[in-house]
Amino acid sequence: MASQTPAVVMDNGTGFSKLGFAGNDSPSFVFPTAIATKGAAGGTGGSGSGRPAVANKPSFLTGGTGQGGALSAKRGTEDLDFFIGDEALAAANGPGYGIHYPVRHGQVENWDHMERFWSNSIFKYLRVEPEDHYFLLTEPPLNPPENRENTAEIMFESFNCAGLYIAVQAVLALAASWTSSKVTDRSLTGTVIDSGDGVTHVIPVAEGYVIGSSIKSIPIAGRDITYFVQSLMRDRGEPDSSLKTAERVKEEYCYVCPDIVKEFSRFDREPDRFLKHTVTSPNGRSVTVDVGYERFLAPEIFFNPEIYSSDFLTPLPTVVDGVIQSSPIDVRRGLYKNIVLSGGSTLYKDFGRRLQRDIKHMVDARIRASEVRSGGKKSGGLEVQVVTHKRQRHGPWFGGSLLGQTPEFRSYCHTKTEYDEIGPSIVRRFNLIGGPGST
Amino acid sequence: MLLLDYQNVLIQSLLTERFSGAPPVSIDQVVSDFDNVAFHVSTPESKSKIQISIGVKCYKELLQYGAQEVLEREYGPYIVSPEAGYDFSILIDLDNLPSDSEGREDLIRRVSLMKRNAMAAPFERAFDDFAHRQEEASKFTRESAPEGVREGGEVMAIHYRDEEAIYIKASHDRVTVIFSTIFREETDRIYGKVFLQEFVDARRRAIQNAPQVLFRNEPPLELQGVRGLADGSNGEVGYVTFVLFPRHLTPQRRQETISHIQTFRDYFHYHIKASKAYIHSRMRRRTADFLQVLNRARPENEEKERKTASGRTFRVQG
Repeated sequence: MASQTPAVVMDNGTGFSKLGFAGNDSPSFVFPTAIATKGAAGGTGGSGSGRPAVANKPSFLTGGTGQGGALSAKRGTEDLDFFIGDEALAAANGPGYGIHYPVRHGQVENWDHMERFWSNSIFKYLRVEPEDHYFLLTEPPLNPPENRENTAEIMFESFNCAGLYIAVQAVLALAASWTSSKVTDRSLTGTVIDSGDGVTHVIPVAEGYVIGSSIKSIPIAGRDITYFVQSLMRDRGEPDSSLKTAERVKEEYCYVCPDIVKEFSRFDREPDRFLKHTVTSPNGRSVTVDVGYERFLAPEIFFNPEIYSSDFLTPLPTVVDGVIQSSPIDVRRGLYKNIVLSGGSTLYKDFGRRLQRDIKHMVDARIRASEVRSGGKKSGGLEVQVVTHKRQRHGPWFGGSLLGQTPEFRSYCHTKTEYDEIGPSIVRRFNLIGGPGST
Repeated sequence: MLLLDYQNVLIQSLLTERFSGAPPVSIDQVVSDFDNVAFHVSTPESKSKIQISIGVKCYKELLQYGAQEVLEREYGPYIVSPEAGYDFSILIDLDNLPSDSEGREDLIRRVSLMKRNAMAAPFERAFDDFAHRQEEASKFTRESAPEGVREGGEVMAIHYRDEEAIYIKASHDRVTVIFSTIFREETDRIYGKVFLQEFVDARRRAIQNAPQVLFRNEPPLELQGVRGLADGSNGEVGYVTFVLFPRHLTPQRRQETISHIQTFRDYFHYHIKASKAYIHSRMRRRTADFLQVLNRARPENEEKERKTASGRTFRVQG
């Protein structure tokens, strides 16, 4: 135990970073991937001019012209004056600090900020000496190899970490589903539905490799559900319809129903299905808001997007079916059999069941049609299974934690020595943990 | 962030959340801290009983120097027999907390400082030893002091990492703390030298009250006769000596001093890495600037050879 330090697992997402040690069942820290630095933010929106303000050169480098004052005064520590995570959000509310989000659309955009973000995560929060630990980082599917190389440069050259493994989030989410009792064979083939705050991805994975050409994303995710709940509450004229309240209502009361029409009539028959939610504002006053149809209508926007959006109209089950149909034919069976949910917006009760039913309907209809066309031949049928498990919320992190604690994990990592020998290009390829040939 | 925190942030936030009256949940987390220290936070019996165990590599040595007393002083009623694989455990019953919020906060603070407290024992012993010797020495004049008083006490060694150690020695007018450091990476060694030079110079320049710092590659004289010292001839090993004077060792200051000096190594390495990050950001900035210059440096009207469809060219007659 003491001789082998646990691996550090870091999952830096667009919204939140999950940090912790391999072997634990939940991340030690979950906080926004945000960094607050001194000076105005370069506009929180556009990231194009995202180069940070670097402190001026020390005077002895500028050729000694002008810039009076003692030399020691120039040895500032402005570069250390920053906060990350929740502290960053708090600091940005005050004067003097500007907030930046170094990760956009899952990919690191600003390496200066990311480097400092990592340095603070390691030294302030995780409190580890990077020389002593192996690191497991995650990356989104279709991350350019240059980004991997940048990551490796920072991890090995700045932090001298002992070893590094970079895994694809979707693959880790598949690994996280091994905890479910429904999963019998630990295969790395399956379809991952990753729905976070900003966007929902449907990612097919075959034998641990992402089928990049078939990935589809849906512009409906957690934030949209919150907005939808909020608009419903506004329409009714509730006393409190702030975004925060809408979020609470979404998280606490929402579920997925099998049939909206039936659910509406059930609500009318059973008035106890209408709930009350009490909001206590910081000044101590509390108001009660009614919670009604939004309980089942909110998650319904995945299945009937037309009730929320006018641009995007394809229901989630159809997208999933389309993704699998566009994948190579020899893996489709495996993709249908293992549809894994990951991310906070898949946590609604019966979400998996509804998805499984809808996809099954589509698949069965197609099989029947082809049976008719082939003139009476019988099909062997196709198994559709949506896996719901307990670790969905931090799926990729948990998958990383599972893989990071296996005894053979270290042999899959690239070590500092290997990096010094070969250079950053070494991280373009990693062997697959738990993949074929590993056991 | 200039200085590192002394407490473990995770334990602190975890306990703060648990103590705030949230519904009890089961916890099972292995947490690591600097210097190969491992914590295990778990709820083995019931959800309201949190057990926190600590594993320190050099716990045997710490015990020799009186760690048990220090820990007993800090955690008295909470101590339970150590969990298998760890060196020291405490158990906190959530149903049986201090009733006032100050008491709770104090408990959280103390628990999150567990690593610091475990490592503090040799320092406290050295400081006590110093006080004792000082008193002893004040009875004699400079010349007539007997041999034992002038020489100072035993060297206490704490091998807190595989290849590095802290040595503490008390004498009648100072306490000497020596860190042996090792740098595997050449770049780090150079950064380290610059930093240490700054430490040495700091006292000379501005901060007169700082402890004296010395840095050398060979073992200092204080460590004469100590076995198992790493050889410093290849430049990988260095010895950093802090000389703590009586003004650092007053009862009001000593706890602060212990906390500071313990985090020295991690502080040192943190800053080496932070400087690298800083230099990297300047390098990126510079590259971006150069790229801009290159992009601007296109010739204004590039002479292109123009061709007819059949591939022939016109030549301007001069």
